[in-house]
Amino acid sequence: MEKEDFQEIIKKIKKAKDFDSLKEISESLLGKNGKIALALKSLKDLPLEERKKEGERLNDLKVKIEKEIKEREEFLKRDFLKKEEFFDVSLPGKKIKTGHLHPLTLVRQRVAEIFQSLGFEVVEGFEIEDEFHNFDALNIPPWHPARETLSLGKTFYLKNEKRYLLRSHTSAVQIRYMETHNPPLKIIVPGRVFRSDELDASHEIDFWQLEGLMVNKEVSLANFKAIVEEFFKRFFAKNIEIRFRPSYFPFVEPGVEVDASCPVCRKKGCSLCKKTGWLEMGGAGMVHPYVFKAVKLNPQHWQGFAFGFGLTRLAMVKYKIPDIRLFNLSDLRFIHQF
Amino acid sequence: MKFSYSWLQSFFSKKLPPPKKLAEVLTLHSFEVENLRKEEGDWIFDIDILPNRPDCLSHLGMAREISVLFDLPLKEEEKKIEDKEKKIEKLVEINVKDTSSCSRYCAGLVLGVKVKNSPSWLQKRLRVCGILPVNNIVDITNYLMLETGQPLHAFDFDKIEKERIKRRSGKEVELPSLEIRRARKNESFLSLDNKKFLLNDDMLVIADSKDVLALAGIKGGKKAEISGETKNILIESAVFDPLVIRKTSSKLNLITDASFRFSYGRDPNSVREALEKAILMVKELAGGEAKGIFDFYPTIVFPKKIKLDFEKTRQLLGLEISDKEIKEILKKLGFKILSENLIEVPTFRLEVDIQENLINEVGRIYGLYKIPSIPPLGPKVMASLNPSLFWENKVKQTLKEACFDEIMSYSFCDRKDIDNFFYSQDQVIEIANPFSLNFNFLRPSLLIGLLKNIAFNQKNFSEIRIFEIGKIFKKEKNKFLEKKMIAGMILGGDFFELKGVIDFLLERMGIAGVWYDSFEATSEDSQQEVWHSTRIAEIKLDHQEIGFLGEISPLLREKYGIKKEIFAFEIDFEKLEKVATEEMEYEEISPFPAAIRDISLIVPQRVRVDEVLEKIQFISPLIRDVDLFDIFDGIEEGKKSLSFHIYFQSKNKTLSDKELDFLQEKIIKTLEKNKGWKVRKKEE
Repeated sequence: MEKEDFQEIIKKIKKAKDFDSLKEISESLLGKNGKIALALKSLKDLPLEERKKEGERLNDLKVKIEKEIKEREEFLKRDFLKKEEFFDVSLPGKKIKTGHLHPLTLVRQRVAEIFQSLGFEVVEGFEIEDEFHNFDALNIPPWHPARETLSLGKTFYLKNEKRYLLRSHTSAVQIRYMETHNPPLKIIVPGRVFRSDELDASHEIDFWQLEGLMVNKEVSLANFKAIVEEFFKRFFAKNIEIRFRPSYFPFVEPGVEVDASCPVCRKKGCSLCKKTGWLEMGGAGMVHPYVFKAVKLNPQHWQGFAFGFGLTRLAMVKYKIPDIRLFNLSDLRFIHQF
Repeated sequence: MKFSYSWLQSFFSKKLPPPKKLAEVLTLHSFEVENLRKEEGDWIFDIDILPNRPDCLSHLGMAREISVLFDLPLKEEEKKIEDKEKKIEKLVEINVKDTSSCSRYCAGLVLGVKVKNSPSWLQKRLRVCGILPVNNIVDITNYLMLETGQPLHAFDFDKIEKERIKRRSGKEVELPSLEIRRARKNESFLSLDNKKFLLNDDMLVIADSKDVLALAGIKGGKKAEISGETKNILIESAVFDPLVIRKTSSKLNLITDASFRFSYGRDPNSVREALEKAILMVKELAGGEAKGIFDFYPTIVFPKKIKLDFEKTRQLLGLEISDKEIKEILKKLGFKILSENLIEVPTFRLEVDIQENLINEVGRIYGLYKIPSIPPLGPKVMASLNPSLFWENKVKQTLKEACFDEIMSYSFCDRKDIDNFFYSQDQVIEIANPFSLNFNFLRPSLLIGLLKNIAFNQKNFSEIRIFEIGKIFKKEKNKFLEKKMIAGMILGGDFFELKGVIDFLLERMGIAGVWYDSFEATSEDSQQEVWHSTRIAEIKLDHQEIGFLGEISPLLREKYGIKKEIFAFEIDFEKLEKVATEEMEYEEISPFPAAIRDISLIVPQRVRVDEVLEKIQFISPLIRDVDLFDIFDGIEEGKKSLSFHIYFQSKNKTLSDKELDFLQEKIIKTLEKNKGWKVRKKEE
């Protein structure tokens, strides 16, 4: 096989149009009866020295040809893949089958996560409570106007068991917890509460609250502001401002209303915040000395803050859910969105 | 309460800030202004007065508040009551019998008045504040209630029954006579608006010798009503026990402007002043001659004194506020600084009892919105994880992976649900004051909500897999039982699919030792009828029942309009949570291949598969797993055929055919030792 021959061969390989013609070329060169094989066979008559030299040359050629064929083959493969088909990437992906958690669970989990990282323990309580824990120990004696005005007058009582009721706020758990744990304490209580209120787009009779309590030697409203600000910032993943306004709850003094700057419009005013730029998130304040006495803690030694937010409301704001009844209805078309 | 801007302005010489500004500042420092609107050329504020501020249920109180917030001095009031000390004991007999419920009772007598319409300015002020004008006398009492906060009531003096009274001198006289006493049981009272009330002895009344003339502090009566013919009037200004008023109001379901104010408490020291103002106004607007004032006030209320710790004030609020600033604020609010830290509380702030109340005042006037954010210091409390919630979340996550949707439903159910689920009255908890008849029981089972959910969702979905974790409520031996449960329900699946889900769930909770027992109901188990009579298993942990798995009885589901089969489980979550564990251990993977041999076994119909499985598995440690892949019923009368894949694997070597044959033979022999058990040969 001569030099020109070799150049021709390489050219031929490089020009091979498809796998079949490449295979044909490959066979004609490297096959059993291919040119290389034949050339090697013809060597047997040559003297040893020459035979050795020629043999090496042919082997060298063989390697080079093999390499060329391989390269051409890969080129053809790439080319083939390119031309193979029309691939429509816009076709929809296959739907993954999975379950869905209730939006209130998602909110509870997120809330717990944030407060746990701030050192708060998550606590649960009873849903059937007695008057002492729901009212008396919270400085709301019988006939106190707060039992009516704070919509606590709308408490559900158990039939034939006048002292027992469905807790109308998670604050009852404050009492339960302080009765059995010594300060310093940091807890949150997400839980169901029940009120015989209206039942419409913004009122439920069976909904969720989030209670919080921190007790230590020196705890101030300013400390509460830092905690609550951090919570809302993380919960809404936005820069939220917090504002306190005067309010009254018998179990705290001073008592405040907690407003958060509207996470939707950033204080510009929108339909969610009724054009005020602020959202009422709930009540809070410094634990009333009466409450400490009721759980046998010395109000001279301890002070603390407590707060109660609407957990269902937090979910409504976060996911822009306009009707509170959707939570207990649990229409699966609603659940599947979360 | 509604407030008129022009009325508030009348307390000041200087001009008030514009209404909008006033509303903003009040909201930040005092009360929420819920609504502000223009009416009859005036601005009306709807203000939510907090229960701890009865002093502000009046224009005077609100003016005091505004005076503090804007540093505007209140006008000096002119006092011009004539013959202040004139007594009327010779003209009327008033007897406060229940002194514990009535701490002060004042009454003023004006003779010869002319009852007519009030002047239009007065009518307008009442109207914009939500009170309908009646006549000049009644309007004056209402007007002064809105101005001073003190409810007043006027009686037609000539309608009060006369009684013969023996004077100390021995002389007998006949005088109109009133007493303030508890009502008698079933005593009746006809109110101004012609409603009849039956009273009882915890209610307080103003009565003459024959009739109840007024329900004290709540409503006037028909008998001594001011009418067009009224000539002589007796005006009452008093303080009644808030508790008595609240109880009466609530029992009679009667809340009035007066009862609302009395139920929050009144300052006995402002009672007489309001009456004096009323007499003055009556003379101006209705003419007549003031005969004097009766005043029963046996125990004078003096201002309280409270020690205030200034350091504690700063500490509680988290504010850097100087002693001087604190004192300034308190002084503006009408508190007196008696000595370094002793504060005197004006009697119109009767709810201020402890230093925290003073701190509240300081905080809100200074501006609660000015409180900075300061992260709490001190020893860090390590938050420990709540194991119950940890497992609850884990279970939810696991069921989500198993393609279940989480729902939440009402904790309430209705009578029909209770009956449908075969609960008896003494097992369930009833609400005394239910929201409606759909919500009058607490749910004794989560299955109720799940079933209702499927009934609701089946129109949109042909396959449903749902679960709920929540509390159920039952009565057991007259005790309340509140228990966290986990329950699931599927539509468009079968028993064994759901059983597989429970197995998966328990595995994820690290719980072993759970088995399924056929359910044998005792006669006390009324709930058995919730389930299909045979497709029902008791889920047991060791020897304790922890829940049920089965098909819901077709009769039950049809009551909820569900036509397709549904399967459900309900498990005591509190029992699961106790045995759940996160511990897991890696098991070495054998490098040698596993071999599979199939065995078909004919057994009597009633033999349970788990019994067979247990027997096979017991034969050799080289049996890694046994899979049932076929059940065939029609092979022989009363028999069934079970086919298993049996997986053999050793950790040390590849098993030879000879060894496998030996093992298979051993299995066959062992199984056939049981009576009526026979292994089918391949050829058969």
